[in-house]
Amino acid sequence: MIQFKLRQGVATLLLAGTAFAGVPAMAQDSDTLVIARSMDVNSLDPARAFCDTCQFYLTAVYETLITLDPDNETLVPNLAESWETNDDFTEFTFILKEATFQDGSPVEASDVVWSINRLKNLKASPSFLMDGMINAEAVDAKTVKFTLDAPSSQFLNKMSASYAGVINADAAMEAGATAGEDAPETDKAEQWFLSNSLGSGPYALAAYTPEAELRLSRNDAYWGDAPAFSEIVVTQIQDAVSQAQALETGQVDIAMQIDPDTARSIRSDDVTTEVVPSYNFVYIGFIPGAKGMAEVMTPEVRQALALAIDYDGILDFTVGGSGAKQAAPIPNGFPGSAGLTPRVQDVEKAKEMLAAAGATDLKLVAGYPNDNIYGVDFNIMMQKLQQDFAAVDVDLELKPLTWAVWRDELGAGEWPITALYYAPDYYGTAQYVQYFGMIEGFPWAGRAGLETPELVVNPVQADLYAKALASSPEEAEAIYQQLGEEMMKDTIILPLVSPNLVLAYRSDIQGVRYSACCNLPLAEISRK
Amino acid sequence: MLAYVLRRLISIPLLLLGVASISFLLTQMTKGDPLAALVPERMMNNPEIVATVKAEWGLDQPLPIRYVRYLGNLVQGDLGTSFATRRPVAQDIAERLPATLELVIVAMVIGTIMGLSLGLLSARFRGSVFDSVARMFALIGSSLPIFWSGLILLYLLSVRLSLVPGTGRLPPRISPPEHFTGFYTIDALVAGDLVLFGQALAHIALPAFVLGWSVTGIITRLVRSSLIEGMSLDYARTARAKGASERVVLVKHALPNAMIPLLTILGFTFAYLITGAVLTEAIFSWPGIGSYAVRAAASLDYPAIGGVTIVGSIAFLLANLLTDIAYAWANPRIKVNT
Repeated sequence: MIQFKLRQGVATLLLAGTAFAGVPAMAQDSDTLVIARSMDVNSLDPARAFCDTCQFYLTAVYETLITLDPDNETLVPNLAESWETNDDFTEFTFILKEATFQDGSPVEASDVVWSINRLKNLKASPSFLMDGMINAEAVDAKTVKFTLDAPSSQFLNKMSASYAGVINADAAMEAGATAGEDAPETDKAEQWFLSNSLGSGPYALAAYTPEAELRLSRNDAYWGDAPAFSEIVVTQIQDAVSQAQALETGQVDIAMQIDPDTARSIRSDDVTTEVVPSYNFVYIGFIPGAKGMAEVMTPEVRQALALAIDYDGILDFTVGGSGAKQAAPIPNGFPGSAGLTPRVQDVEKAKEMLAAAGATDLKLVAGYPNDNIYGVDFNIMMQKLQQDFAAVDVDLELKPLTWAVWRDELGAGEWPITALYYAPDYYGTAQYVQYFGMIEGFPWAGRAGLETPELVVNPVQADLYAKALASSPEEAEAIYQQLGEEMMKDTIILPLVSPNLVLAYRSDIQGVRYSACCNLPLAEISRK
Repeated sequence: MLAYVLRRLISIPLLLLGVASISFLLTQMTKGDPLAALVPERMMNNPEIVATVKAEWGLDQPLPIRYVRYLGNLVQGDLGTSFATRRPVAQDIAERLPATLELVIVAMVIGTIMGLSLGLLSARFRGSVFDSVARMFALIGSSLPIFWSGLILLYLLSVRLSLVPGTGRLPPRISPPEHFTGFYTIDALVAGDLVLFGQALAHIALPAFVLGWSVTGIITRLVRSSLIEGMSLDYARTARAKGASERVVLVKHALPNAMIPLLTILGFTFAYLITGAVLTEAIFSWPGIGSYAVRAAASLDYPAIGGVTIVGSIAFLLANLLTDIAYAWANPRIKVNT
């Protein structure tokens, strides 16, 4: 009897062993695309989602009226076949294509109006995109018109953001979604969007397990060209090394968060790595409004500290030189960045300026998230900054914090220096002014000035910003450059590194590219 | 015995109430922005969004009202909705707990078998080369940090030698078996899918070994010392005098006595493995409760922290109860005070 059981057990194990051999680790012929990523999903509802993973998910599932060409500069038709703008950039009219949602129903102007109103009224994270939009109107079944309360030549750029995707309004309302001004109280659809989708994109949501797996299936009713893969699986793999290992073994086809160092360690001939410039950047921020810092972090001291920084050294230290310096908080390649010259180190001048400002024996604290973003380890970066400041006799105490504590202390003005990062929400420079501009009521003006905004507010910027928004994109570029120069003069935000992006994928995969609006356009990827 | 077990079971809800209250108050008093998981950093200065989110999640209410609401929901079995995943915490835990339990149970089996075998053989061949090698192997397993041993073994056995598959519970291209227990190995067998069973087994083998290896040291040491001590006691001498061989004395007389302290250690080991699983889950992309708890704590996800604490407490209370029952059952000298 015992022998029989033993034999059964051995047989089971052998069968199991056969099973391992029967399923190859690599699946070159597979119709499924597997992507490794540390997912940061906060929601799968287009009007609530706001994250890097959300960008490529929404792009694949919900289509926008316009999108960004692979040249990462030109806006091109998507659901809209054409559009018109009035002379002062307050009215935008779109003509829709003959497109259908995944349930086969047509995409109509009423769906667009409902989706954009919901985006605005939910007052969720991406709602800021529709700030200033006062009316959305379905002129007819295929024509939609938006009216703004003030000129904004960036409205088209904002409409290309993946968060402005169009939802099947009737089906969404059945699921509990609402778009009126009372949407924050009445909309009950967020959980529904975690397991269902209602877009017109090439893919549909198949299943989602938070922090584990996001599974998309091909939208068989797609109105455009069918995508290559029948299924896409985004699998949670936390760190770059594990992602690289999964890529080398063929467990995944694409690894999205490989840093340059890890990319160099990949030995497999079956893996392709491309290093491309990104629009992401990591920066430090000065906070003159922090407790007891109004008299310390003066413009002169901030400029001296900016001169003390070894920008080339930080680039080498953090990403092994695989990146670029950036002058102002406008990423290289975005309108207005071309004419800006990155800062350079001048230790002697920094010392002179500090002495002239009477800032001797300066002791400062830097509170920052204890994190690694875009391959930049914040601890390493801040240790280098500590060395650079020490060279001009400034003692910098480092305080790495968890996100929740960092946010708490930032709001309380606990320290005068912090570090953070930014990735674009869409292709357009206005978002950087809207976030980093020293304009009253804007986020970073509030953070840097805290209770005393007059310490940092730069009135010139508000005028320049209004002028840029009222100008054509071509004319606005020069104004954005002026804004960049003004932000550099403020010396509040100091970009340190714009890290390169590593596109790492199996060599039988093609069509992998980085998009400024949409991160990774999944529908363009195929197997050779 | 039955009365004792019933009394212990009845005390569990009261203990859980205490745990839930302490957990609620501690998380609320923890320094940090409670909106960290609800409002992205870019929007944290937007008063309109902050006010909307606070109202939506009840964070605009005073602490006593939040506490009463929390307890009210809890007694109805509602653990709340996670700030981060935006799903019911109970659903998150129900999906993730089986993954951790499957990993921990397999790791415990591996760790216990390795520890027991090595301890037994070390005691039997005390002072020999085998004794030194076995103790060294066990010691290395206990000493190496899991984040290091896990990554190195994964690199060697998966990337370089292709002996085991990569991370996760199954290859991403394969869909999981229909949910029955949540243990993929068992569910695959229930579904009669041996290929899937093989894949699930292959995927759990390395993380369970790494986790199990980390407790082999303490089990080996305990078994070895208990056996060596037992072999010098009167009952062993008597057995030898009656003509029993060393092997018989060891296995039939000393080993059953060594099992008593081992049972206590296994109770602690279970707790250790549950906490140790956090790192293993991170390295092997194992979607379990450990990584969920770490993420919840880091982002101050109050409902998720509360949910994990309560479920963890239930697991520990039940594990302790089972250990005590097993201890009483294994050692006739112990009497349960009813």
